[in-house]
Amino acid sequence: MPKHIFRLVSLIAGFLAVTIIAIPFLVPDSFYRFGHYRANSVIEIAAQEPVLQTANYCKDCHTERHAQWSASNHKSVTCEICHGTALGHPQKGKLPIPKDAARLCTLCHEAMPGRPRTQPQIQVAQHSSGQQCNVCHNPHSPKIAAALVKVAGNAAAGKRKAADCAACHGEAGISPNDTWPNLAGQHAAYLVRILAAYKSGDQKDVAMTPLAQALGDADIQNLATFYAGLNCKGAAGGKAAGDAAAGKVLAKNCVACHGETGIGSNPAWPNIAGQQPGYLVNVLKAFKAGLRKDPMMAGVSRGLSDTDIANLAAYYAAQNCQSPKQGKAKP
Amino acid sequence: MKKEDSKPTLEARRAFLAKLGGAASCAGVVVGAATLGVVPAIAAKTGAPPDAGSFPTKDYDWTKHQWGFGVDATKCIGCLRCVEACKNENEVPRNAHQFRTWVERYVHLEGEEAVRIDSQQDPVNIQASGSEKEFRFANRYKDAKVDKAFFVPKLCNHCAHPACVQVCPVGATYKTEDGVVLIDHDYCIGCRYCVQACPYGARYFNEEKGVSDKCTWCYHRITKGLQPACVEVCPVGARIFGDQKDKQSPISLFIRNNRVQVLRPESGNAPNVFYVGIDKEVN
Amino acid sequence: MEPIIHFAPYTGWVYPNETVFEWSVLIAVYPYLTGLVAGAFTVSSLYQVFGFERLKPVAHLALLTSLSFMIFVPTPLLLHLGHPERAFNSTITPHLTSAMAMFGFFASFYVALLILEGWFAYRPFIVSQAQTKTGLLGKFYGLLTLGSHDVSEPVMRFDRKWIFALAVIGIPAAHGLHGYVGFMYGSLKSREWWSSDLMPVIFLFSAIISGVALLVVLYVASCKLRKIPVDAACVKGLAYTIWAFIMIAIVLEALAFANLVYKGREGIDMIMEYVTGPLLIPYFLLQFAIGMIVPLLWLSYMIWRGTSGRALVVGVTLCACLVLFSVFMMRWNVVIGGQEISKTGKGLLAYHMPFFGKEGALMAILLTIAPLGLLYVLTRLFPPWADAAAHAHV
Repeated sequence: MPKHIFRLVSLIAGFLAVTIIAIPFLVPDSFYRFGHYRANSVIEIAAQEPVLQTANYCKDCHTERHAQWSASNHKSVTCEICHGTALGHPQKGKLPIPKDAARLCTLCHEAMPGRPRTQPQIQVAQHSSGQQCNVCHNPHSPKIAAALVKVAGNAAAGKRKAADCAACHGEAGISPNDTWPNLAGQHAAYLVRILAAYKSGDQKDVAMTPLAQALGDADIQNLATFYAGLNCKGAAGGKAAGDAAAGKVLAKNCVACHGETGIGSNPAWPNIAGQQPGYLVNVLKAFKAGLRKDPMMAGVSRGLSDTDIANLAAYYAAQNCQSPKQGKAKP
Repeated sequence: MKKEDSKPTLEARRAFLAKLGGAASCAGVVVGAATLGVVPAIAAKTGAPPDAGSFPTKDYDWTKHQWGFGVDATKCIGCLRCVEACKNENEVPRNAHQFRTWVERYVHLEGEEAVRIDSQQDPVNIQASGSEKEFRFANRYKDAKVDKAFFVPKLCNHCAHPACVQVCPVGATYKTEDGVVLIDHDYCIGCRYCVQACPYGARYFNEEKGVSDKCTWCYHRITKGLQPACVEVCPVGARIFGDQKDKQSPISLFIRNNRVQVLRPESGNAPNVFYVGIDKEVN
Repeated sequence: MEPIIHFAPYTGWVYPNETVFEWSVLIAVYPYLTGLVAGAFTVSSLYQVFGFERLKPVAHLALLTSLSFMIFVPTPLLLHLGHPERAFNSTITPHLTSAMAMFGFFASFYVALLILEGWFAYRPFIVSQAQTKTGLLGKFYGLLTLGSHDVSEPVMRFDRKWIFALAVIGIPAAHGLHGYVGFMYGSLKSREWWSSDLMPVIFLFSAIISGVALLVVLYVASCKLRKIPVDAACVKGLAYTIWAFIMIAIVLEALAFANLVYKGREGIDMIMEYVTGPLLIPYFLLQFAIGMIVPLLWLSYMIWRGTSGRALVVGVTLCACLVLFSVFMMRWNVVIGGQEISKTGKGLLAYHMPFFGKEGALMAILLTIAPLGLLYVLTRLFPPWADAAAHAHV
């Protein structure tokens, strides 16, 4: 073999030898351990930190909200859908409370071709005339409470039972006292809800709690039917300390549930037109202080000053309890 | 032949040969070392795991699981919270063009033969969401006469015979023992052959990282006992995830209790995302 | 740095992730360069292996052309990679099921083969240069001789055997290299436009005609530059080669297209909308009509009429330019066209090529021209001219 060939072949052989020897050293660790890939990359990927924390992560601090949410029909909508991912919270600060509920809620609830029938959907234009959803709906428990309670009591039986209540609420359901509510003409469904709440302890009152605990479910139905059937004409309206005109301006925020003059069409919520002003003041303050629990009222009362409360009470106390046509009905 | 060599070349040749001899003996040593040292090194790299512990983490053994994913398109409401959650969870670029998971909308209008299809990347939907970083379906058909309409969530199918893994030139994407197709971002060269090979459009190229990316079924979550982010946030249960080795897992029940189908079965990729309630146009 | 992503406009329904074109014009340049390599090597083999004596004037030029283009083949790929520094991963841990993984091996094997072939072919020249030249250049040639100045007749006989053997190995290697490029596309089932069994063969034949055409242009240009007469017989030989292979290329392309339309699988409506719309001009007009049919008819006419002299040279050169253009359009229509048809089969995208930038038109042009620069350097170091003037001192 001519020597240039020999040298050439040697060169090539040397190059190949170096390559073949070098390659195993260049193969990354853990390559080929399970297959044609770096086994360590599986470890690296599995070690990444989850960003979305799940509702259990929120439970310990936001116990009350969590309990309310997990008992509601919104329990499939997890915390982080609306409030953002919780990684780094609370160390790195608060999570946002959605400002534009009308935009957020319609992601799921705007009526749209393609959405299954079982999904609750609204015609946005006809539903709330541009109001935010959380005016009426509690996002953590959006179904409107007690709206579906059916009241089927006996008014006569209710009248007999009502003898025990007359001392405070008046024989005709018109309270003689500024601080106790009138009951005549009130929504039966609302009355049932509140009595049941006293009975179960969800709502507490020195006088009402023992009285309500003594009532059976049938008694509650009968009482509610009786008072709902009474005429509220005799409501005095009382003398109020606040400025009714200023109250009227504030009352615009209450329209959605309580109507323009305090007469709402939804039986879940109370009529407040012509109600005792002292009672209205007390109740609003109780909501504000968290003594009376209602997620919606807690939210709207939070921003009210004592003067605002007095003004609102004065406005509603001065309204006619019998003008149902004035209130715009909003289902 | 030697006669023709001039003297200087002869010397040069001797010197060269001497060097060559040295080089050859060096090579011999190296080859010897190779047989002694390197071969065991290769064996270590190819052989069984050194410890019998669970892999890939202390608390998770991938031989005990076989993951599967179900999509019940009859439940999907097109809220796109899955897309949002996925972008947050996996550092997917915040734009309307690159997704690990997305949702498609199919609409048959009265009197129209062709189905209208859009997803959140459609300009009309971007306009409705207000930004490329937010996701929302515009209510564009609310005044139209709609014969039939439905939403279909899409994601990587984690195929049993993945075309993307087949074409990867370096082994930067692979199928794990528990049935997930992953990408090694530290080894990917960024040739994008896998992006081309996927018949489902499930892969995209991450310009910033210079590597391909796609859904991992949130491997970092499922190995910790959590659900994938999209499944976690789906408010209507349209996404079902679980272990096919567990006969009572959500996915096993989903497959058992429904007539499920897969996308593009003719491709031979054998997907592991099982669909219920999709129509003939969906692929 | 803000990553520059171009989102492609589209019509119909496309997958969201498809709106970014992953394979740019560089990926069209890459098979174009490989094709020129394979084609040029074919010319050299026709002389070395099959004894086409009339191709002797371009035989060495073909080798050098092949080598200089081959060296630039990886550049469009490297520029396109997201992590070019990891390119060697494909040779360290080649994934054997990937059509792309073998590229590193094929390419380096082929480069080595071209260097060897060239080395043997130029050995007498190298030896003579090493003995006459001094200084740095002399050292360079001296190194290349590997210390052996033996060019006696028995040794040369030995060398010729090697040249022949390497050329014989080189033909399947060059064609394999290019066929595999076609396979890379043809084996993808995700795109109807690519997924064809004929793809590798189509790539191969278009490669051959492009390589031969390139040699015609280079040869004629080099003769003009060196102010020597063009060897008409050689040009005619090259013209015959183009003529023969262009027919096969046309038939194959037409067959592939006919198959696609006739089978009419899923998404055919969209493909028809595409070829009769956006693809009408680049595909039917530029690639087929102007790039292939016109040269075929023109060459046929010249062969029929026995055209000779200046008319022949001009005619063949112009035909060669058209073929070069046509083959580039073919690469473009495959690579870009394939991506313009959505995988959904229900939509079309539109690729807009940026002019500047890493993957722009300017870069594509530079990469296509760069091998010519290398070729110029190589021709100065290793003159490939077979005419008397060049042979005087060998």
